[in-house]
Amino acid sequence: MSVTESTSASLGAASGAGSRPNAPLELASDATAPTAPTGPSGRTAQRRGFLRSLLRNRKATVGVGILILFGALALLAPLLAPEDPTVITSAGSQAPSAEHLLGTTAKGQDVLALTLWGARSSLAVGFLVGIAATLVGVTVGLAAAYFGKVTDDVLSLVTNVFLLLPGLPLLVVLAAFLPPGTGTVVVVLIVTGWAGAARVLRSLALSIRAKDFVAAATVTGEGSGWIMFREILPNMASIVMSTFLGVVIFGIGSQAGLEFLGLGDVSVVSWGTNLYWASNDGALMIGAWWAFLPSGLCIALVAFALALLNYAVDEVTNPRLRVPRRRRAGVHAPGGGTVVAGAAETGTSPESEDGHRETPVLEVRDLTVEYRGENRTVVGADRVSFTIGEGEVFGLAGESGCGKSTVAHAIMRLLREPAVITEGSVRFCGRDVLAMSDDELRSFRWRDVAMVFQSAMNSLNPVMTIGDQIVDVFTTHERVSRTEAWRRAGDLLELVKIERSRLRSYPHQLSGGMRQRVVIAMAVALRPRLLIMDEPTTALDVVVQQEIIAQIADLRRELGFAVLFITHDISLMIELSDRMGVMYGGRFVESAPAGTILTDPRHPYTHALMNAFPPLTGPRTELSGLADGVRFTDIGDLVEVASGHWVAPHDEEVRA
Amino acid sequence: MRFVLRRLGFYLLAFWVSVTLNFLLPRFMPGDPVSRMFARSQSRMTPEQITQLRHLFGLDDRPLWQQYLDYLGNVFTGEMGVSISRFPTPVVEVIAGQIGWTVLLGGTALLIAVVIGNLLGILAAWRRGGFLDSMLPPVLVFVGSFPYFWLAMGALYLFGVALGWFPLRHAFSAGSSPDWTGPFVSDVAMHLVLPAVTIVVVSIGGWMLAMRNTMIATNAEDYIVMAEAKGLRPGRIMFRYAARNAMLPAVTSFGMSLGFVVGGALLTEVVFAYPGVGYQLLAAVQGLDYPLMQGIFLTITAAVLLVNFLVDIVYVRLDPRVRVS
Repeated sequence: MSVTESTSASLGAASGAGSRPNAPLELASDATAPTAPTGPSGRTAQRRGFLRSLLRNRKATVGVGILILFGALALLAPLLAPEDPTVITSAGSQAPSAEHLLGTTAKGQDVLALTLWGARSSLAVGFLVGIAATLVGVTVGLAAAYFGKVTDDVLSLVTNVFLLLPGLPLLVVLAAFLPPGTGTVVVVLIVTGWAGAARVLRSLALSIRAKDFVAAATVTGEGSGWIMFREILPNMASIVMSTFLGVVIFGIGSQAGLEFLGLGDVSVVSWGTNLYWASNDGALMIGAWWAFLPSGLCIALVAFALALLNYAVDEVTNPRLRVPRRRRAGVHAPGGGTVVAGAAETGTSPESEDGHRETPVLEVRDLTVEYRGENRTVVGADRVSFTIGEGEVFGLAGESGCGKSTVAHAIMRLLREPAVITEGSVRFCGRDVLAMSDDELRSFRWRDVAMVFQSAMNSLNPVMTIGDQIVDVFTTHERVSRTEAWRRAGDLLELVKIERSRLRSYPHQLSGGMRQRVVIAMAVALRPRLLIMDEPTTALDVVVQQEIIAQIADLRRELGFAVLFITHDISLMIELSDRMGVMYGGRFVESAPAGTILTDPRHPYTHALMNAFPPLTGPRTELSGLADGVRFTDIGDLVEVASGHWVAPHDEEVRA
Repeated sequence: MRFVLRRLGFYLLAFWVSVTLNFLLPRFMPGDPVSRMFARSQSRMTPEQITQLRHLFGLDDRPLWQQYLDYLGNVFTGEMGVSISRFPTPVVEVIAGQIGWTVLLGGTALLIAVVIGNLLGILAAWRRGGFLDSMLPPVLVFVGSFPYFWLAMGALYLFGVALGWFPLRHAFSAGSSPDWTGPFVSDVAMHLVLPAVTIVVVSIGGWMLAMRNTMIATNAEDYIVMAEAKGLRPGRIMFRYAARNAMLPAVTSFGMSLGFVVGGALLTEVVFAYPGVGYQLLAAVQGLDYPLMQGIFLTITAAVLLVNFLVDIVYVRLDPRVRVS
């Protein structure tokens, strides 16, 4: 999640829409998608956007094209078909010729005419079943989701039972008992086809029901029918469409199957009965492939067109499913970290003349990360430079979406498409991280730099014991036996004050604080020289936060690693960090020792950030932030204003 | 444990529904199928058969509730009457002689399709934009759009009739008797190839796409990024971290797809005259053998429900979160 989160957050910041600089400390609210619909007008716009993107999708255009073609053929069958398909002539089983373009059946019927006329019945039944079963499904699904309680229990139970009953055998038995005919086939298909739609739509309606705008409609006293059909249903459009397409596929296929078995009305001309007769007459056995090929191909083409359209709907609702266009040679697999080949060292680091540290643990220079969208590119981190010395704690502050996480992920090359490192360098103890091969990168990760992610619950694999997840680190990076690795994993847990016996626990069996301690234990397993902590305490309550911070401080005293510390909690950061950098819109605006940032912030943004927190003691003071609408654009390179204190040039001089 | 018991209760309920459906169908269907059947075949039925059928379809003037209780009792003791088309063989015996072939065909095809389909899905999601991700899905969707029976007939014609590579019908050659000798086993295997491959080819695309889409969602999870940060080898992240989690929804959807596979196997059996319950079901329908028809439907339903229950038990093993709650 953290990657996607930083993506959307950075997009929000760069477009200037998502973040207000005078409220920089919104706690972990960045997960909310910036495009979430909020009112009816927004939703209508979204729907229109959906249709437009659908029409732009190539799969959808191909699918719609095929469907329109077959629809036209079915409608125009009486004009196009050269003769009456039911006319039985003496010229049986003739190969395709000028007179009979697709040959004749064993009874002498024209195959082309049969195929064209067959389209009418097959398409009509398929779409009729699709519409009716979807209507039943929508009604049942909406009713179950909206009324809840007993209604929901009963309806879901019925739905699930119907889903489990094997469809075709049930169809066969039902069709055997009912009087034969196309009407029977339609009814039977609706009876067996609605449940799938109902199930999908119920769970979707449930999730929409929980949304704020439905609550708002309820509060304003709108009736349940209004809410169901005007508020909930329109938001289900894409899923209703895809279930509809699914049911039509089911309908056309099952109708053909039933008719092929001779369970429909065999005197009706449809693709299924055509195949029934072809099989009955032994067309294939005498090599009369033409009687058999066209109807099957038509069924397949229509089903394919519907499946393509369905696929396109999926892709439009969930763009991640789209096949990524290749930007570089080779394919993109997770784990490589995307670096543009030309990324090289350029420019000068503001701290390169900082004489005190010889080889810093981490040296980041002019790091630039771009999120490359289809239509526009957003810069997530813009020429960011900083260094971290041996054993030093460096804090990275800034509002949500300013690029902190992007920088953290870039250091370990964990960014994924569409994020690309386009410029700059990352050096770890002098080694160029961006130039590492895949093997080098793997051994560099965790052994040299480890990372504690924001949400411990999400960063642990839910289906592996935490013991196995720690052992993974040892067995990957060191040649140790499993027993030895397991023993060391136990030691690690004890280091963070968790009993060894917890090695056999799964993540969900631990409390939030324990999980985060497990992640921290895992992070120090190989004694890395740098630990990146990306908001390690944000998701925890205050008391647990204190414990975790104390834990980290203890470990640091013991193991002496350097830390890149990212948090929203400015006071905590000032307390723990040696030096700090303040980021805004992907740029560094100020960098100085933590004490200096507190007492002498020079950039107006830093100043606002420092003032956003009330002091715990002393007289009450007025909190001042940035004035409404204040934005910083074109932030220049940092300039050293005092020894070790770098500030981006700005117009407004802020007094400390 | 509570989860397993709840599921068991649900499956029993589902089975009860299908038994009740079976009970009600001949009694309440419009067009009175029973008299239709009697009219059509009374002349060639013995008095015992007629009595048997009257009993089965409630034409013996007992109150409905009593008929229903009798029916329930009979079904749960495995008493499903006597087949009409193969009189006087009991329905249970007819089914017992054929279900093995269906299990062999359906099981083999399902196993192959699930394993290969899921593997392809995993690889496609892992190497986004690669051949498996971009080219294969549309091809498989297209192949999967063909009706089972149509591909089966095509395969039969092409590889059986025209090329003569595979036998045309049945599960083993005429004249050989079932035993566990090498020649007979390979004979059965040869007869299995075409029908099994047909089912695999049609169903594999669905498995692949579903797995691919879940894997794409799973790959965006934090624990995958964390696994990468840990420097684990790609193979280990792909299977132990990503696929292992993406598998869970696939397991739950397995049960639901089972009904479709059974349907596909049924149609395929018909085309190849493969002596399983699907083939027999159609024969029963054509021979107006209602007791056998109903027996087969109940057996298939029971089998589908049983497999679903087994899948649930496997799911509990696979997802530790369900195990506890």
